[in-house]
Amino acid sequence: MRGLFRTGAGISGFVIISGFALLAMATAAGAIGSEWWQTSAGAWQGPGAEHWFGTNRLGQDIFARAVYSTRTAFEVGILVTIASTLLGATLGGLAGWYSPGWLDESILWLKGVLDSIPFYLLIAAIAYAMQGSPWAMHLGMTAAFWTGTARLVRGEVIRLKEREFVAAARAIGLPGPLIIFRHVLPNTFNILLVQATLVFVAAIKTEVILSFLGIGTRDSISWGVMLAESSQEVLAGRFGNFLAASGFLFVLLMGFNLLSDAMQDELDIRGQTA
Amino acid sequence: MRSGGYIFRKLVSAVALLIGVTFISFLLMVWFGPDLTYQSLGKNPTADQISEVRRQLGYDRPFLERYGAFLGQLATLDLGHSDSTGEPVSRLMARTLPVSLALVLPGFLIGNLLGILLGLWSAWRRGSMTDRFIMGASVAGMSLSFLVIIILLQVLLCTPWGLNLFPARGWSVDGLSAYLYYATVPTLSLVLITLGYNTRFYRSVMVEELNREHIRTALAYGADTRAILFTHVLKNSLAPILTRLLFSIPIIVISGSLLLESYFGIPGIGKVTYDAITNGDQPVLKAVVSLTAVLFVLVQLAVDLAYRWVDPRVGPS
Repeated sequence: MRGLFRTGAGISGFVIISGFALLAMATAAGAIGSEWWQTSAGAWQGPGAEHWFGTNRLGQDIFARAVYSTRTAFEVGILVTIASTLLGATLGGLAGWYSPGWLDESILWLKGVLDSIPFYLLIAAIAYAMQGSPWAMHLGMTAAFWTGTARLVRGEVIRLKEREFVAAARAIGLPGPLIIFRHVLPNTFNILLVQATLVFVAAIKTEVILSFLGIGTRDSISWGVMLAESSQEVLAGRFGNFLAASGFLFVLLMGFNLLSDAMQDELDIRGQTA
Repeated sequence: MRSGGYIFRKLVSAVALLIGVTFISFLLMVWFGPDLTYQSLGKNPTADQISEVRRQLGYDRPFLERYGAFLGQLATLDLGHSDSTGEPVSRLMARTLPVSLALVLPGFLIGNLLGILLGLWSAWRRGSMTDRFIMGASVAGMSLSFLVIIILLQVLLCTPWGLNLFPARGWSVDGLSAYLYYATVPTLSLVLITLGYNTRFYRSVMVEELNREHIRTALAYGADTRAILFTHVLKNSLAPILTRLLFSIPIIVISGSLLLESYFGIPGIGKVTYDAITNGDQPVLKAVVSLTAVLFVLVQLAVDLAYRWVDPRVGPS
């Protein structure tokens, strides 16, 4: 892992993500950005020293909204990444361990079914079933993204199964599930890490599209919500929302992509873009 | 005998997938979906009217019977009527799908073609400045939200703040020049959205192919580079290229048209889907979701069988 910081790309990715993570934590702690909803300033003010990106139609400071949205992005990214990594590792591990067999077949079937529905549509269907719940987005993305992780973990577990430490664990009579979760899955950590960075990127990008489609972030703000608003505003020549949201978004995604690339090179793992 | 076994196994797994995708569609949008009884009733309905509507919607029947009825609807393409416009869903889809294909397919093909060329170039010049530039640009492209790319191109090409050459939205196509007028910006958007992913994917395919011994030998013998790249490397990469093309068609057509048409106000299947999502138009939504998934499974099956036919080594593992 130390080699990760030998390349400029790896270092810059790490620095960018850390910066945004600090920003997200400071926002969550209420230190900054919490005035994003205040409408004290006049509407449509231009950029200036007071409001760096101007104000929106309600007179809210666009920069404060973009800063606060960092927190939303990390919330979505972290929740979806953790959920789909846990699900993908568990189901992928079980499938690989019990391959060939009915459990493997069933998990592969479930994966095949979910992969056959274009994921915006899958999420739209879940959002329809959940009738406007703000968690439909998280659930839908998890349902769509765990399959990539599961595929990679399954392949790795099938390889690891033949190794001596697994034979030794079996020889002393450890039960299968214990071997999977205690001894085999920890060895897939590098794969999970690389895949997690890709899922994080996919989650943030998907949030933007879902918010534009009206089934994303609700009762809060996010870069997706800001971009959706800006899609009307740019035609009237108001670029504050667009510039702020797309700028924040681009830099954070670039950070993740740089780190992910450096990791994939260093660990010699190819992730699967979710 | 083994060939028959392979085909049989593929057919069985395709049927299993079909059951799965239709089951999920049914579960999410019909069984767990919201109760539609009162949508079609006036104010103060009588108990008789309520039970009549519930009977029509099938709410009084058991789970499997309703799932069976749903499968019957899909098989006969008798998908009911749109909640918002009353138009039969199958007619709505037949009317709007050609628009989407006309909108999305050119961008899809250009994006893949450019991706193949850039990937080949990048792989050929592996490690050089050219390679690093192309890969850097790809990563930058992948870091741009799809929505950002669309808005940016719209501002640059369709508004007075940019070149103002094309319409900001709309679609009234009656000939080639009108088509180019309305489709250029959406097509460019789709190309830019997919180009980064495509280039990276194709580069890794080409790098692998360039490392093969017959290519190294041909290079060592001083064979014409262009001939090597465009006949030998490209030809041998056809399998992964075709797989990617076929597998991404349903996804790109649906997801791409969903975004582009709702953004640019183009009356294709994506706009229909977008409206169905925003209005909760259940008959349309469930038709689009389940038919796309069914189509995807059938494409997968066709690809598997075609490979087997082209290359008999594929299959019995």
